[in-house]
Amino acid sequence: MSRNLVAAKLSKACVFLLGTAVGFTLLSLGVGELLSILPEPIGSRADLFIEGARTSLYITLYSAIIGLIVGVVMGLSSGSSNRFVRGFAWIYVWLIRGTPVLVQILFVYYAVPALFPSLQLNEFWAAVFALGLNVGAYNGEVIRAGIEAVPKGQTEAARSLGLSKAKTMRWVVLPQAIRIVVPPLVNNIVALLKDSSLASAIGLLELTLAGNRISSETFLPVPVLSTVALLYLIYTSAITVVTHYLKKIMRWA
Amino acid sequence: MLLEVKNLDKFYGSFQALKGINLSVKAGEVICVIGPSGSGKSSLIRSINQLEPYQGGEIYLHGDLIHPNREVDKLRQEIGMVFQSFNLFPHLTVLDNLMLAPTQVKRVSREAALAKSLALLKRVGIESQKDKYPHSLSGGQQQRVAIARALAMEPKVMLFDEPTSALDPEMISEVLNVMKDLARSGMTMVVVTHEMGFAKEVADRVLFMVDGEVVEDSMPESFFSNPKTERAKLFLSQMLQR
Repeated sequence: MSRNLVAAKLSKACVFLLGTAVGFTLLSLGVGELLSILPEPIGSRADLFIEGARTSLYITLYSAIIGLIVGVVMGLSSGSSNRFVRGFAWIYVWLIRGTPVLVQILFVYYAVPALFPSLQLNEFWAAVFALGLNVGAYNGEVIRAGIEAVPKGQTEAARSLGLSKAKTMRWVVLPQAIRIVVPPLVNNIVALLKDSSLASAIGLLELTLAGNRISSETFLPVPVLSTVALLYLIYTSAITVVTHYLKKIMRWA
Repeated sequence: MLLEVKNLDKFYGSFQALKGINLSVKAGEVICVIGPSGSGKSSLIRSINQLEPYQGGEIYLHGDLIHPNREVDKLRQEIGMVFQSFNLFPHLTVLDNLMLAPTQVKRVSREAALAKSLALLKRVGIESQKDKYPHSLSGGQQQRVAIARALAMEPKVMLFDEPTSALDPEMISEVLNVMKDLARSGMTMVVVTHEMGFAKEVADRVLFMVDGEVVEDSMPESFFSNPKTERAKLFLSQMLQR
């Protein structure tokens, strides 16, 4: 690949990431302003809503990063020629997808420290790791399917030119698989944001728990929980919009 | 001998696709492999390039026995392959399609790879498309890029697996012309094809395969004017009716 092309792609990716970060910050500021001018019981509690929403977004961000790393490892492992590696990936996906996320969060927070006292995590990081390991299994399946969706002729052409298995993966298969996997991976991030509400079960003050507290303090569940739902909707919609542009900048065909 | 195939056996399950194939290719020779579909032509050249596993027999390049799964990457650098469905890399420009293997595998400098790639694109008459992506090229142009891509590794032998079968009729000749030019330049070629005119014109030898066996191995003049077997006569008469 020509150096200019790589540079152009990198700078595009940086602009995109920066734009996304700025966009989400502005969106959060706007949402904060909006909430504070709303009537009781929302306006006076805007700070708590915003704090909860921010925590939810940070859980999503960190667990998405962990999930992406785990997903790439699992996706590559499940296509490995080594059957132990393949078996490990299969068992991982089987365990994670066959048990509820809520149980996984509770397990990381309560059971893991009981087994290994040094792995005592606070509520935030317990939720991040549980959700990240969870979404990683789903991402792994998406990435495996994406790699398999690249036509076999591509691998044959690359290998027939003398490229090794690893270089074929790096230069031919993965760049094409990425385009296929981005939309489903983003769907997983949207699901992740919604699943972050389960962290309320271990007492983490994210958006859902914040709403729940305000609701029971004010005895006004309708406006409060509607606001909670609306905030989730705003952020999940924002993620979908980001994907739209992501798909655009990744177009080559 | 540049390339030698000895007693090659290949099975798909219990079906025997290749039955003890023998083939010797001298440097500079052009061999056309023809025959009805399902006769094992593609299996033969895919086995030579180790894209298909084979169960019996040996393949030698420059007299060196090729071990399946060992030093395969090195072997493949010396054998160029052109596929029926082109298999260009859709995420890379035409130029990057050509430059990928030389820079990544042979560690050729970018400048040298660029110069070589441009010369090859010029040779196949497509240098004006160098910065385009494959999808915006016609089938004939894509196949010419695929030939140039294989040549960029400076192979000793070029294998063609029905290179014109996926093309619209009006694009076949532009690809065949590139192949004829390549044959005249002294490239060693093994071509699986249904283009009898091409075989007649450029082949040094014609291999006629049926049911996994080489039924005839002769000069093109004698094969086309005077085929020895009934099966070949029938096949040729069917090809002429097209």
